[in-house]
Amino acid sequence: MRTAYTISGIGHGAVLLWSIWSLAANPLPLPPHDALPVDLVTSDELSKVTKGIKTAPQSETPKPLAEKVAEAKPVEDPNAKVVEKKEVKAAHETASPPEAKPPDSKPSDKKHAETKIDPIAQELAKEEAKKPEPKKAELKPPAPPKKPAPPAPKFDPKQVEALLDKRDATRMAAAAEVQNNAPSLGLASGEATRLSQNEFDAFRKRLEECWSPPPGVDSTTKLSVVLRVVFKSDGSVARAPDLVQAPASPLGPAMAESAKRAILRCQPFKMLKPEHYDQWKDIEINFDPQYMLRG
Amino acid sequence: MNETNSVDSRRFITKRLSRRRALMLGAGSLVGPMLGFSASPSRAVVRLDVTQGNIQPMPIAVPDFASVATQDPAAGRNISAIISSNLQRSGFFAPIDPAAFLEKPTVDSTPRFADWRTINAQALVLGRITQTEARVKAEFRLWDVFAGQQLHGQVYTTTAENWRRIGHMISDAVYEKLTGEKGYFDSRVVFVDETGPKERRIKRLALMDQDGANVRYLTRGEDLVLTPRFSSSADTITYMSYGQGDPKVYLMNIETGQREIVSNFPGMSFSPRFSPDSQRVIFSLQNGGNSNLFVMDLRSKATTRLTDTQVIDTAPSYSPDGSYICFESDRGGKQQIYVMAAGGGQAQRISFGDGVYSTPVWSPRGDYIAFTKQFEGKFAIGIMRADGSGERILTEGYHNEGPTWAPNGRVIMFFRDLGGNGGPALYTVDVTGRNEQPVRTPSYASDPSWSPLLQ
Repeated sequence: MRTAYTISGIGHGAVLLWSIWSLAANPLPLPPHDALPVDLVTSDELSKVTKGIKTAPQSETPKPLAEKVAEAKPVEDPNAKVVEKKEVKAAHETASPPEAKPPDSKPSDKKHAETKIDPIAQELAKEEAKKPEPKKAELKPPAPPKKPAPPAPKFDPKQVEALLDKRDATRMAAAAEVQNNAPSLGLASGEATRLSQNEFDAFRKRLEECWSPPPGVDSTTKLSVVLRVVFKSDGSVARAPDLVQAPASPLGPAMAESAKRAILRCQPFKMLKPEHYDQWKDIEINFDPQYMLRG
Repeated sequence: MNETNSVDSRRFITKRLSRRRALMLGAGSLVGPMLGFSASPSRAVVRLDVTQGNIQPMPIAVPDFASVATQDPAAGRNISAIISSNLQRSGFFAPIDPAAFLEKPTVDSTPRFADWRTINAQALVLGRITQTEARVKAEFRLWDVFAGQQLHGQVYTTTAENWRRIGHMISDAVYEKLTGEKGYFDSRVVFVDETGPKERRIKRLALMDQDGANVRYLTRGEDLVLTPRFSSSADTITYMSYGQGDPKVYLMNIETGQREIVSNFPGMSFSPRFSPDSQRVIFSLQNGGNSNLFVMDLRSKATTRLTDTQVIDTAPSYSPDGSYICFESDRGGKQQIYVMAAGGGQAQRISFGDGVYSTPVWSPRGDYIAFTKQFEGKFAIGIMRADGSGERILTEGYHNEGPTWAPNGRVIMFFRDLGGNGGPALYTVDVTGRNEQPVRTPSYASDPSWSPLLQ
């Protein structure tokens, strides 16, 4: 009996140890990042896109960002135009390329403008059909992993379907009051930046204007500094930036101070839209001067 | 039997329970980490790269220091003026006009940062100078306006006539804190002061603070003097003088004014320099048509020959660790820069561009060698790395010559003679080639040498 118990005890212990060890050995999987697509929008395109239709009826203001699932409400008239047209159109336009383009990047562009604005998702497809101005080449994305539209009982899908563009849906945004956390096209667990490209770029440009790296940096030393910034919804910082990574160099403190100063000086960052607050409320910024200084 | 059985069964039960407990513990410990690992990975934080910046002088506010019981009521203002002017001349700071200041804070209080942010001051220097009899005490604080934090604070005490040095030391502290580089403001420059008409220039050795103040003449001008150089303790200089007959190398103690001749060799000695430990003086000695390098130990007076060539080897300069020297030699035909071990031996050429290279000077940081380069009639001051790579011209014109390094290895001073009826003048330029600034001297000036930071 004793031997049995000993063997059993050892066997259990071994299994436990093995399981703990083998599980512990698995690294935490990092979600892969999408490539950030960059699109150039000429002023012509932009003005075409924002031109709109003169006969469009007045629209309602968009719904605010849903923090929790609200009660199902009747969706407004599918014919109504929305105020966010400009932004949405721009996003839509940037996503529709003149020539062939990797398809998986498109939906992520579109998504960022629509995730927080519920009515647009459905209407946009219809608006495409309605808009008279010539559209760019058809989008040919592969079928995205569509998030099923959450229940909106009063909404008659048949009515909309008649108006719907019969192409494959390129939107993944939810139609109702729930925040859409759908992964982006192409990645099962994609963590694509859904911030508008324009906002992100404008934010970066502003930081570049405000950042004055200390003298004495040269391209041979690795001098990048990473700061983590937590923002309030008005674009100002919630607290002093945290230093995540600093170079092991005597110039390190001066570099870190200059990066912090850049952020603190130029707040609030108005180009970051409150609708996307969830996207930019917590950002890590990497200040790296090595490309500035050649020779 | 029953007894045994019951005992057994008791043991068995106990064991089973503890086994069960052990099993549960085991299961729990298994489940725990599994739960932990199966939890969804934390949402990756958005990351943004900023790879461009906007190199601008930093706006800094230096209000007048408070003066307490000072003989000169403007003492505080004078110190602030020194600090502002130092920082401005460095090219990295833009002191804000005091008329724009909204608040008048004292060194003891926390400033109202909002007032300073309004005028876009990124840093703020507050201070006070107090005098008791012959001594002065200066306190200062350096504030980061946008972070709302103190970056540095210090108290200095010295004799009253040294008050300018306090201004320079505070400037160094501010510079170092904000740029990460060591400062260079608390230093002196020795140079050759030239007065009189061009045909009959009177040349005297002169000493001044790096900002042009406190000028003092070390020789009287009867003898022609050239190429003065500081020792590492900044209290002795070595220079060349045409006393009676051939030019000789001299040492002079700055405080006492005492002079001594370094060596009494036949022939002409040129371009002397101290070794980094100031125990030796290296110079070139000309005999016949050749000029070779010699080192003399100052204590033992023993002299060693370093080169033995039929050419002109001159203008030697030690590396900051004393293990190498760079010098100018025309053994390859034209004057070029060579590097050689400090004890002599094989010399390696490091300059390969078009033109004639001369007056090499090793940076106190050891990373660069500055030189004068002549090509197509132009004179340029440039720097290259100690292996000859990365050659970069900092300033070009007629007639630039004689670079010397600031103690932090970021600024170079040189002299420029535009010809004509004028005379030479001193200039500084940053090691990146930016921010060329004239240096104020009482008259024409040439052959500068920058001291290390004063102790």
